[in-house]
Amino acid sequence: MPPRSSRHADVNRRSFLQGTGLGLLAFSLAGTQVLLTPRQARARGADFKSLGSGEVLTLEALGEVLVPGAREAGIANFVDQQMSADPNESLLMAKYLNVAPPYSDFYHAGLAALDRLSNVQFDAPFVELEQEQAVTLVSSISNSVPDDWDGPPPPLFYLCVRADAVDVVYGTAEGFAKLKIPYLPHIPPPERW
Amino acid sequence: MAEKVDVVIVGAGAAASVYAAVLAEAGKEVRVLETGPARKLEDLYSSQISARRLKWAVPELLEAGKDTIWFNYNAGRGFGGAAVHHFGVWPRYHPEDFKERSLYGRGLDWPLEYEDLRPYYDRVQAEVGLSGDTEAEIWRPPGDPYPLPPVPVFSHGRILARGFEALDMNVAAVPLAILTAPYKGRAACTYDGWCEAGCPTGALANPLVVYFPRALKAGATLQPRSHVTRVLTDAKGKLATGVEYVDDTGTRHTLLADSVVLAAFTVENSRILLNSASTPHPDGLANSSGLLGRYLMTHPSVNIFGLFDEDMQNYMGVNGGQLFSQDRFNKVRKAGPFGSRQWIIAPALKPNDLLGIAMTRADLFGPDLQSFMERAARGLGTIVAISQDQPLPENRIELADTKDAHGFPLARAVYAASADGLGLWNASVDEGQALIKAAGADEVWHSPRGGQHIMGGTIMGDKPDASVTNAVSQTHDIPNLFIGGPGVFPTSSAVNSTFHLYALALMSAEYLRDNWASVVA
Repeated sequence: MPPRSSRHADVNRRSFLQGTGLGLLAFSLAGTQVLLTPRQARARGADFKSLGSGEVLTLEALGEVLVPGAREAGIANFVDQQMSADPNESLLMAKYLNVAPPYSDFYHAGLAALDRLSNVQFDAPFVELEQEQAVTLVSSISNSVPDDWDGPPPPLFYLCVRADAVDVVYGTAEGFAKLKIPYLPHIPPPERW
Repeated sequence: MAEKVDVVIVGAGAAASVYAAVLAEAGKEVRVLETGPARKLEDLYSSQISARRLKWAVPELLEAGKDTIWFNYNAGRGFGGAAVHHFGVWPRYHPEDFKERSLYGRGLDWPLEYEDLRPYYDRVQAEVGLSGDTEAEIWRPPGDPYPLPPVPVFSHGRILARGFEALDMNVAAVPLAILTAPYKGRAACTYDGWCEAGCPTGALANPLVVYFPRALKAGATLQPRSHVTRVLTDAKGKLATGVEYVDDTGTRHTLLADSVVLAAFTVENSRILLNSASTPHPDGLANSSGLLGRYLMTHPSVNIFGLFDEDMQNYMGVNGGQLFSQDRFNKVRKAGPFGSRQWIIAPALKPNDLLGIAMTRADLFGPDLQSFMERAARGLGTIVAISQDQPLPENRIELADTKDAHGFPLARAVYAASADGLGLWNASVDEGQALIKAAGADEVWHSPRGGQHIMGGTIMGDKPDASVTNAVSQTHDIPNLFIGGPGVFPTSSAVNSTFHLYALALMSAEYLRDNWASVVA
């Protein structure tokens, strides 16, 4: 169990900024703000602020198809936490890819469009697709605009969620280690996430 | 009653740091207003994810042209501006870059020549501690030798250099604003490739460690979270009298000043001036030429990738690369596009982010991506081509109908890469793939077209009816209003813009200092 000080850290601005450098973000656990990695937030059942329960499942399923391991690495917790952040403080790659803030609109619309497309093409929501069906659908949005898509440009949505999945799986000290890349930080993280 | 200072500087990036140091040391009361937060070295965490806090987001730039200028990625926010996350690649402009209209009948002429700027390049490189290989850099314009030896070359650089050698091309160490030895109290680089996340050791010359410390010591004040909306003038519109800004609570303030320096990067500089329209200046301040916002440029760039069956150690080094080549800098060739190209060789790579390993094959996902990541982490190599863009008046920053939270129109970019820029980009794609193959790669591919650095919008020139500022970045229309940053560049060359803007800022700041009485009168 983490020490009491980290379980009940004061989430003031300074500690928040320090935390984001270490892969820690402010999540809500039963109404209490704590600094956790997205992986820890998922494991401990942190509350979601912006995503509905269905959206969480869809995003996790999509993330897992894009980058194996993204579900457990906390892609939904990461995106949810950032969707409501000040765009200037946002850690989402959407920021670089000309997605207009607020980013929550983009994710809500993209996830809804994905489920609609899935229902039209396979008569089931995305989370219920077989792996092969999910791969077919993701391939189709990665480089084209399917007829039944009604949301943000699908290749852009694909690119953003893929980047989020890459961030939580490979953009961490743990992810570097998985690839046998030395992390070499100037400011070493106290724990891997 | 409104506060009054001698000089207000808008933006806290590279150009601002130079103006602030020069003017504060001359005894002027200097206030720097920055939209973003205060930032210190210890805020610069080694993570590509947290690095995104250093970049711009809002007020957002709307884009209506054929191509994007990648504003959020290029721009910065907070103390240090874009220079906090810049890669420190500091080649000089070449003499011919200043005279393209005269020499070739293309582009525009600068209102100054290389020899005018040379002493400022030399002084800036001595101030910040530039590293490089003066002898090996056969294309280098005249100038003092680099004060520090070049960065070491690791496997990534050595292996890729084989391709250039095979095609009979020259390479030299990249000139970098990165310390290769302790210098003026700053530590040397450890080559861990975290430059984009900001360099907390101070080895990379960002404004937090060069010029701003001098400015602060001389009494300048840096004020965060102060978003400037307009430059104010006297009733006749002859002189700037200060600025209006909005703080974090949305409260509007007026800060009066004898002189105003706009150094808020290319887009915001144009936007602030356009939003400063008044009865004497109905089309925006400093816009009697009608060219404010025009000649927007960005360097068309491409990454060429190759997978090698060797341990590239591509995580070592710096984001600005280990070697470079200017063998393709000649602007005129028998056939093909006009302009210069430059190769950057072996920039350090990380797994994630826009320039990270995973993004090099954005088409891959699932197990295919997983196996690619494992192979590329060991064997990916890359070179980057930077191509010259042409100054076209139709490429521009203008005001949009949409307004920001404070009621001021947002900026809109209307941009399409020039035909010459596209031609140079295509030539780079072909040549780059040949280079990577010649270096021994098994698989070769390239990135989509990107845009590096953002220039123009407030260009300098001799003629008030054809430019916004004169050779010392002083607006033709308002003598006590100066512009800092790459917005004053009338041509783009094919080199990274930061060294050039530092040298111009030093020259202009000293002009303002030395001519203070006449400028503010």
